[in-house]
Amino acid sequence: MHMNLTNLTIKKFQEGLKNKKFSVFEIAEEYFKHIEKKDPEINAYISLLKESALKKAGEADIKKAKGETLAPLTGIPLAIKDNILIENEITTSASKILENYKASYDATVIKKLKNEGAIFLGKTNMDEFAMGSSTENSAFKKTKNPRDVSRVPGGSSGGSAAAVAADMAVAGLGSDTGGSIRQPASFCGVVGLKPTYGAVSRYGLMAMASSLDQIGPITKTVEDAEILFNAIKGFDPMDATSQRLTTDNLQPTTTKNLTIGLPKEYFIKEGLDDQTTKAISEAIESLKKAGIKFKEISLPHTKYALSCYYIIMPAEVSANLTRFDGIRYARIAGRGSQTETLKEIYFRQRGEGFGPEVKRRIILGTFVLSSGYYDAYYAKAQKVRNLIRKDFDKAFDPSAGGVDVILTPVSPTPAFHFGEKTDDPLKMYLSDIFTIPANLAGLPAISISTRPMENPPVGFQLIGKHFKENDILEIGKLYESR
Amino acid sequence: MAQIDKKTLEHLADLARIKITEKEEDKLVEDLKKILNYFEELQALDTKKIPPMAGGTDLKNMTREDEINQDLAKSREALINLFPEKEGDFLKIPPVFE
Repeated sequence: MHMNLTNLTIKKFQEGLKNKKFSVFEIAEEYFKHIEKKDPEINAYISLLKESALKKAGEADIKKAKGETLAPLTGIPLAIKDNILIENEITTSASKILENYKASYDATVIKKLKNEGAIFLGKTNMDEFAMGSSTENSAFKKTKNPRDVSRVPGGSSGGSAAAVAADMAVAGLGSDTGGSIRQPASFCGVVGLKPTYGAVSRYGLMAMASSLDQIGPITKTVEDAEILFNAIKGFDPMDATSQRLTTDNLQPTTTKNLTIGLPKEYFIKEGLDDQTTKAISEAIESLKKAGIKFKEISLPHTKYALSCYYIIMPAEVSANLTRFDGIRYARIAGRGSQTETLKEIYFRQRGEGFGPEVKRRIILGTFVLSSGYYDAYYAKAQKVRNLIRKDFDKAFDPSAGGVDVILTPVSPTPAFHFGEKTDDPLKMYLSDIFTIPANLAGLPAISISTRPMENPPVGFQLIGKHFKENDILEIGKLYESR
Repeated sequence: MAQIDKKTLEHLADLARIKITEKEEDKLVEDLKKILNYFEELQALDTKKIPPMAGGTDLKNMTREDEINQDLAKSREALINLFPEKEGDFLKIPPVFE
């Protein structure tokens, strides 16, 4: 049997399974065959879960043969970013310090997906502890962009985006703190959704910057992103930022009456490359033809978002990463003497266990929080964050003629080449400039590849109101149906 | 404004419990200088009357009943097994005070 994995989506998988076009086991086996052939070139996966995946697939087929009711996502083969815990599986966050760490429980999103019947093919590569925009900061390997292997896949969820783009999974999960789902989705020509802050539980996600982190789907279509999002969302008492959705939040949306805002601060000439500008203009034209109204808006504090983010995020990083000390989880073997003191253990484990970008952010975070500098940096950034959020509140305010959704580019350029930005951290940080504001304001945002796909791919971003994922998903589906 | 030099960096690395090699030091000082310099743009903004946005949500005091969570209880053993060094069910570490 040979199956075409290229066009396989969650939706098509569900139909195919229902119509007995294939078995769950056949599909899972086909994916591993393809991964074994393709991944030595792409390096999307850090580890494969072949044994457990094939076992689960076989069990699903038996259930089906017995005529038992199958859970909605039965057999869907997924790629999971390696900072999301799957019980009993090695979970590294692409860091040396966790090279041997075996997760002791399932993340809430994993538990939900297991209950829905999904299958996990493997854990995907990423920038170490999700810090980076190219996946070049992985301690283990460099993932290539399947659309052009001389380019980076984006980051930090570069492995999941590359796995989906190279047909090595039907869909995947990533995490997004400043654009880590949307930017790689855009670079790899797939779809990536960062849900509203509080919509998806982060219990079992290795925390990077807790006031910004969200888990979300990376998929081939907007429809698939919606299916996965609905499977993982919901209140969880284990995440104190998790929110109970009111019925209003779940109201379906019709695109008919929606107005999209185009913030002028995101479309400045010197900030965007020509190919990106052109592809996004075409996407806007296509939506206009579909009857969507557009309006120019202003988000005046946009230019401060990057500074604001690169103060708040490292501050939270420096606190969150104290738990990785070589004492509690895993320990790097080697040179340490038997008589190492506690302090020596800390210094060596963290010195050898963390890569350069992680160290840079921990030091930066320690600095902005230190006495004497706290007010000038951290406290200031928190105030600026409020201004950025207020910009969005105003733009979305119905009583002030506000819009429903905002459309922007995802990144100033398409995927760049390996090594292009690794020497200059600031240059790398700037590639997140359009995705960061949605994290600072806690808003849902989706990255959608323009069609026909550019080479290298270009994505546009739709930002919605809090808990109005439906608005951006419906517009995304409308765009993809044209 | 803030100046960062090798001495400051060594102090920060000590606070953060990270060993930094001589070679890493030079690059870090240079990178941090550039980054902090970039942050200067924020000083142009008047934020005197703006309250800080602390955290990503307006939720307050999210509490839950203090009950034994069976799922957590289940993973206790797995957690203990992860300890690089242990004695019985206790995490073993070198003396904190020398």
